[in-house]
Amino acid sequence: MSSKKDKQGLKIIIVGAGNVGSTLVEQLAHEGHDITIIDIVARKIQAITDNYDVMGIIGNGASYSVLMEAGIEQADLMIAVTEADELNLLCCTVAKRVGRCAAIARVRMPDYSKEVQYLQEQLGLALVINPEMETAKEAARILAMPTALEVMSFAHGQAEMIKLAIPEGNGLAGMTIAEMAKKLPVSALVCAVERKGEVFIPSGSFCLESGDTLSFAAPRRNIRVFMDTFGFKSRRVRDTLIVGGSKASYYLAQELLHAGIAVKIIEQNRNRCEELSVLLPKAVIINGDGTDEALLKEEGIERADSFVPLTGIDEVNIILTLYAKKISDAKVITKINRMNFKSVVNSLELGSVIYPRYITAEAIVAYVRARSESRNNSIETLYHLFDHRVEAIEFVVDESSEVTGRPLMEMRQQMKKELLIAFINRNGHIIIPGGSDTIEVGDTVMIVTKHTGLQKLTDILN
Amino acid sequence: MNNAMIGFIVGSVLKIEGILLLGPCAAALWYRENAGWYYLCVAVFCMLVGWLMTRRAPEDHVFYLKEGCVSTALSWLVLSFFGGLPMYISHQIPSFIDAMFEAASGFTTTGATILSDVEGIAHATQLWRSMTHWIGGMGILVFLLAIIPLSGGSNMNIMRAESPGPSVGKLVPKVRHTARILYLIYIGLTALELIFLLCGGMSLFEAVNHSMATAGTGGFGVRNDSFASYSPYLQWVATVFMILFGINFNMYYFLVFRQFRKAFGMEEVRNYLLVVLAGIVFVFCCIYPQYGVADGARHAAFQVSSIISTTGFSTANFDAWPQAARAMLVLLMFIGACAGSTAGGLKVSRVGIAIKTMKKELTAYLHPKSIKKIQYEGKPVEHEVVRSINVYFITFLILFAGSVLLISFNGYGMETNLSAVAATINNVGPGLDKVGPTTNFGHFSVFSKCVLIFDMIAGRLELFPLLMLFHPTIWKEAASSSRLGRRLKKKNLQ
Repeated sequence: MSSKKDKQGLKIIIVGAGNVGSTLVEQLAHEGHDITIIDIVARKIQAITDNYDVMGIIGNGASYSVLMEAGIEQADLMIAVTEADELNLLCCTVAKRVGRCAAIARVRMPDYSKEVQYLQEQLGLALVINPEMETAKEAARILAMPTALEVMSFAHGQAEMIKLAIPEGNGLAGMTIAEMAKKLPVSALVCAVERKGEVFIPSGSFCLESGDTLSFAAPRRNIRVFMDTFGFKSRRVRDTLIVGGSKASYYLAQELLHAGIAVKIIEQNRNRCEELSVLLPKAVIINGDGTDEALLKEEGIERADSFVPLTGIDEVNIILTLYAKKISDAKVITKINRMNFKSVVNSLELGSVIYPRYITAEAIVAYVRARSESRNNSIETLYHLFDHRVEAIEFVVDESSEVTGRPLMEMRQQMKKELLIAFINRNGHIIIPGGSDTIEVGDTVMIVTKHTGLQKLTDILN
Repeated sequence: MNNAMIGFIVGSVLKIEGILLLGPCAAALWYRENAGWYYLCVAVFCMLVGWLMTRRAPEDHVFYLKEGCVSTALSWLVLSFFGGLPMYISHQIPSFIDAMFEAASGFTTTGATILSDVEGIAHATQLWRSMTHWIGGMGILVFLLAIIPLSGGSNMNIMRAESPGPSVGKLVPKVRHTARILYLIYIGLTALELIFLLCGGMSLFEAVNHSMATAGTGGFGVRNDSFASYSPYLQWVATVFMILFGINFNMYYFLVFRQFRKAFGMEEVRNYLLVVLAGIVFVFCCIYPQYGVADGARHAAFQVSSIISTTGFSTANFDAWPQAARAMLVLLMFIGACAGSTAGGLKVSRVGIAIKTMKKELTAYLHPKSIKKIQYEGKPVEHEVVRSINVYFITFLILFAGSVLLISFNGYGMETNLSAVAATINNVGPGLDKVGPTTNFGHFSVFSKCVLIFDMIAGRLELFPLLMLFHPTIWKEAASSSRLGRRLKKKNLQ
């Protein structure tokens, strides 16, 4: 423990102690960084400094003197995640002028999000994150693969990791991983299995049971083959009913319309409805209360292929999905912003659950981990699976090291337990590795592991 | 309540105390004294018990403010008990309660003694008394935080319970690094004083003792007449360092990092220095007919800085000074020095905010609808802080009055009783009359000594952590969670 903790962490300043800010504090403090959090509301700062070993400063994060007090001159990274996009951008601009730190801003208004590229270049930002957009993208991926509980994309969309529940009487039940691989005409790799609350990184002799939740990784085109082989229905979704006309709803509608899926949005505020109807001419916009049972029935929730409540209130989202599950067999996705009762949420069988704040935090943690390593071994993507007990990390291999050029078989002895190499991406070609494959410079490699906190590829060795 | 974690912390404190007890052993070895054996025995015992208690790190690291307070209070009680044990079993201090009083007085940096002949005891014990000041000054749990990693934000709850002052600020984001910086400054300043004292011709042993006692703002000396028989140079050195150790350590941090504007802009430090200056001038005016200008200035400066920094050294019998000077010194006891230093007392920042609250109340009488937020150090003070300071004053007053009543059974005069409680609860040391600088606390009854020990520890821990131990809920929770623990263990075994 001490060797990991003693490592000099990055000096990070976070402005904004909201949902995303506090999640970031939790995760980055856990990884051993020196964090200073700034917010204008004293109560929020108090709550965070009571719970985490970080320094809190009350004030406006865009002001020069407050940033100086927070030690911007020595900071390595500035993350602005306040309510307002403009303030975030201003914070980053000031920070970049005063200090020599990298800056990350949250920008979520559609007006700016179209210009992300421009903003990032002109303001010299390291990263611009848009949680609403990412939430929408994740929801869209799940809707494209409705049997999946979670869909994560790697290698620029070339490979995906799918989470499935094995239903009663499915062909996979009672099969070992090795048998499964033999039966499968294409390559795919089971990365993690959750059984009765416990997570396993399975070996070849691991036997699957019904009721398990498994995650497998495969090249994109093999995924449908996997589903068909083991009898998972993979019908496409043709229409979606969205409740709430938030930014995330707009981004999701856009993605879905682009994929040719019909979209219906129920929104309470008349002005917002009018805005949406201008922005999304192809969507059907309904002005009404999305929590009204009669209205939902009128708009055909019983016949809908999929149902996505995206209101700002977690409780409402949960009730709506539970209702939809009861009266229809639509694919449902639940968005949870704030709540922490993960064990309860998991036991409710809400189907696919999306946590926007974790999506944002994952992107930033991936960036931070890549930075805290002086060498250029950077992290392309990072996902937390099964309540943060398992991490899936995609590393870029840009220099030779003790893990490159050696057959995996040879390294197996030195590799950590509870860790596997899910795939190697060589020039866009996804290889599910066997014992004779090697890691080469220029590849990206995905690692799935229960050892959280890997920072570089060579960490996979003992 | 996380009993396992509290046990782990108390165990770690015991281990550290065991290691520290090797200090007097070394002194005994050097001076060939038998007392060393007793110190060695207690040291080994502490390390053994500490090792047993910390053998397994608890799985549950969750730790709230109440656990922080309870483990701090328990640690200090345990610390005082084992600190006094070697003095008792080696018969240096024949009475058990006297040994406890001496140790508690040492760790809380009070410096009130029951010994009438300090020169007669072993060097080992002399060194140990000074060491207790040094450890108690910055706090043993802060030291613990600097060396052992505790996960999460829970360690802030310990720091909050042990550090003097109304609110604890961090210097750097991590508690561990903050604690390290504080100790480095502490060690640096102590070493600096040691060098100055050695330059003045003090022997190494005495210089080590005195610099540790000054650093902790303690007040145990190695001579019966405290500082009176040293040269004026040495007295001036001690004066300056007593003032320095009463300053908020954040200022030194800012100075080291060349943030001069921040360092000199600290309102509390400015107020503190102003009060010191005013006190010196006042006392000087009272005593210069008696001593003349040079000696008068020296005695006034030494005594005022000794009292306001709650150290308690003396160069003259200030009990025999004019009434106005005596009254001034007693008032200074209550003010104390800065928060975030090693000193005791009410703290300048608390008094400062209280005075501002008073001013605000006056304004409210003039303009009943006026709104004014109190500012301190250039920042608005939250209502919560003002409230907690008010409660602190009330609690302090109740404890003070109660203690005076309890020790009055000795039959001494009001002056003795009041100043004895003031000197212990503010961690100063000497008081007036029967507890003046030329006398000691040895003549009190056992019961009164217990009350004063309680006052010293309560004063050092800023009242509430120690008072928490008397809240029945704490014990109920501790009992219920230990029952829960046992039930879980039984379940696991089955």
